[in-house]
Amino acid sequence: MHDIVNLEALGVPGVFLASSEFTDAAAAQSAALGADPAVIFVPHPIQDRTDTEMRDLADDAFAAIMTAIVSPVTEQ
Amino acid sequence: MLPDGLVAIVKRDCPTCVLVGPVLAELRDRSQSAVTIYSQDDPTFPEATGGSIDDRDLNVSFALDLDTVPTLIRVENGQEVARTVGWSRDHWAELTGIGELGVGLTDHRPGCGSRTQDPAITAARSTKEGERHLQARRVELGTEEDEAEAMYERGWSDGLPVVAPTAARVVRMLTGTTRAPEDIVAIIPPDLVECTVEKIAINAVMAGCRPEYLPVVLAAVEAACTDEFNMHGLLATTWFSGPVIVVNGPITKAIGMNSGINALGPGNRANATIGRALQLVIRNVGGGRPGDVDRATLGQPGKYTCCFAEHEDACWEPMHVERGFRAEQNTVTLFAGEGVRGMVDQLSRTPESLTRSFAACLRTTAHPKLPIAFDAMIIITPDHLRVYEEAGWSKARFRDELGALLQIDGHEMVRGASGIEEGIPEALAEITLPKFRDGGLLIAHAGGAAGLFSGIMGGWASGSVGSESVSREVRI
Amino acid sequence: MTTLLDPTSERAPGTRERAVRPATLDGATIGLLDITKARGDVFLDRIAERFEAGGHTVLRFAKPTFTKPAPIDLRHEISAKCDVVIEALAD
Repeated sequence: MHDIVNLEALGVPGVFLASSEFTDAAAAQSAALGADPAVIFVPHPIQDRTDTEMRDLADDAFAAIMTAIVSPVTEQ
Repeated sequence: MLPDGLVAIVKRDCPTCVLVGPVLAELRDRSQSAVTIYSQDDPTFPEATGGSIDDRDLNVSFALDLDTVPTLIRVENGQEVARTVGWSRDHWAELTGIGELGVGLTDHRPGCGSRTQDPAITAARSTKEGERHLQARRVELGTEEDEAEAMYERGWSDGLPVVAPTAARVVRMLTGTTRAPEDIVAIIPPDLVECTVEKIAINAVMAGCRPEYLPVVLAAVEAACTDEFNMHGLLATTWFSGPVIVVNGPITKAIGMNSGINALGPGNRANATIGRALQLVIRNVGGGRPGDVDRATLGQPGKYTCCFAEHEDACWEPMHVERGFRAEQNTVTLFAGEGVRGMVDQLSRTPESLTRSFAACLRTTAHPKLPIAFDAMIIITPDHLRVYEEAGWSKARFRDELGALLQIDGHEMVRGASGIEEGIPEALAEITLPKFRDGGLLIAHAGGAAGLFSGIMGGWASGSVGSESVSREVRI
Repeated sequence: MTTLLDPTSERAPGTRERAVRPATLDGATIGLLDITKARGDVFLDRIAERFEAGGHTVLRFAKPTFTKPAPIDLRHEISAKCDVVIEALAD
């Protein structure tokens, strides 16, 4: 989380990906840093997933990643 | 609401309270009324009564406006009807209706000061009171945030570190003015925000001001945000100028401003922080940030802060008197100034010669071929002023003589003259034009006693597209 | 916890704001920062494939350890070379 917050402060939009176990820690770290970085959670567990399962998790998260790093389209 | 009966307020750290502990126990036995006891420092005291009600936060004591302990009060129907302070058998008998209390004790003994009279406690309490009334949004820093970095990261700094505006610091800053924190001082450009005394106090804390500087900052914000001064235009211009504050009146000495050596330089807290507070208000409250609304091509360091006091015990009347104020009034004058240039003249012994030096150097502010459109300020130093004093020239005479020398032949200034394309239109070739418009040249007196150098500060565009210098009285 | 009074006009939100996002990723360089916990590389490999399939330039970075924030020079390198950054995968 610190890295994304630091990079945002340097002007680089970022998003942090973590397992759903990380929700509370993410909230606590955000509060501690006084920031509100973009975070996307993927379903736990991570460590024992097969390669295929990991790629599926990545595909599932991809749309959310795009939304997090591009500015929203506004009505003209 | 007080309980009916007898109410006593004591503290352990008081020999008279220790003395009357057993008397209070005796009252409990002998009196029909309830006896309620509060302790200011220790709820286990008095032992004789099995302790007391904890009033260590002093809420009850403050509400009762105590100055002494012990205080004994008779309450009927929720209202105080009588009170006595210290120990006196006779007074206690009269108040309680019970005689012969405290047999064996001395007849009377004075009490001690109530803790509510302790200056540290009253100060802390009024700070807490003041803090509750502050209206600004609270910003919680993250536990891992460094305080100094946190303010940079929220965009609150001008590039230099700022002092964290805690509620306690802002309350202290507000003691510097009698104005109410919620009073609106000015509408700040460019976002046209209504700015309260409190918001200015917050930025004054960040700038490093002391509370006694706040009235000067308030007057400076007020002056800067007038239509005539045109802070919005001054922000948005690509030109160098920023708001320069000249302070006059007894307040300059009272708050320790510098009018002498390095008057425009660093080293004096009041000079440094008053100018900075104005700039922080404009960027933080008004939203006027460099690169954003502030488009200055180069800018200059005076935009961090530029504020000084004039020497006023001199032969020429100070700026505020020239501008219609009485000498004993405190004022700020805002001028849209560039950085300061130096003018050397170490040889002129006559006022005529020195004035020619001034004219020659003033000719070149903004551009030697551009008259009227830009203003300027002279900061004449003591060694140069002495030449005029010895010759008996008043400030008015200096202005007249200088003005005559700054009448310039149009031919010299038209576009193309001297091989320079910049200049005035050809049509004006036959006219003689003054370098400065009426009211376009300010004269201040400041600086150290030694140095045959005076300062010249170019201004900004004058008139309706530019800025008019503005003076405002400082109200405490 | 330190509480400060807001010196601004309060028209913007009080929290530290996120960096401005680009309107589009066309021509953008995308940084993928691996925190080096297990399986994160497989995850990021797939993310990289997806971006590259969309015609985007992808740069890969890795922290020396997930137990500390990234070193300053790594952060500077990312900020110099990338327009956006994706950091993964914590658990």
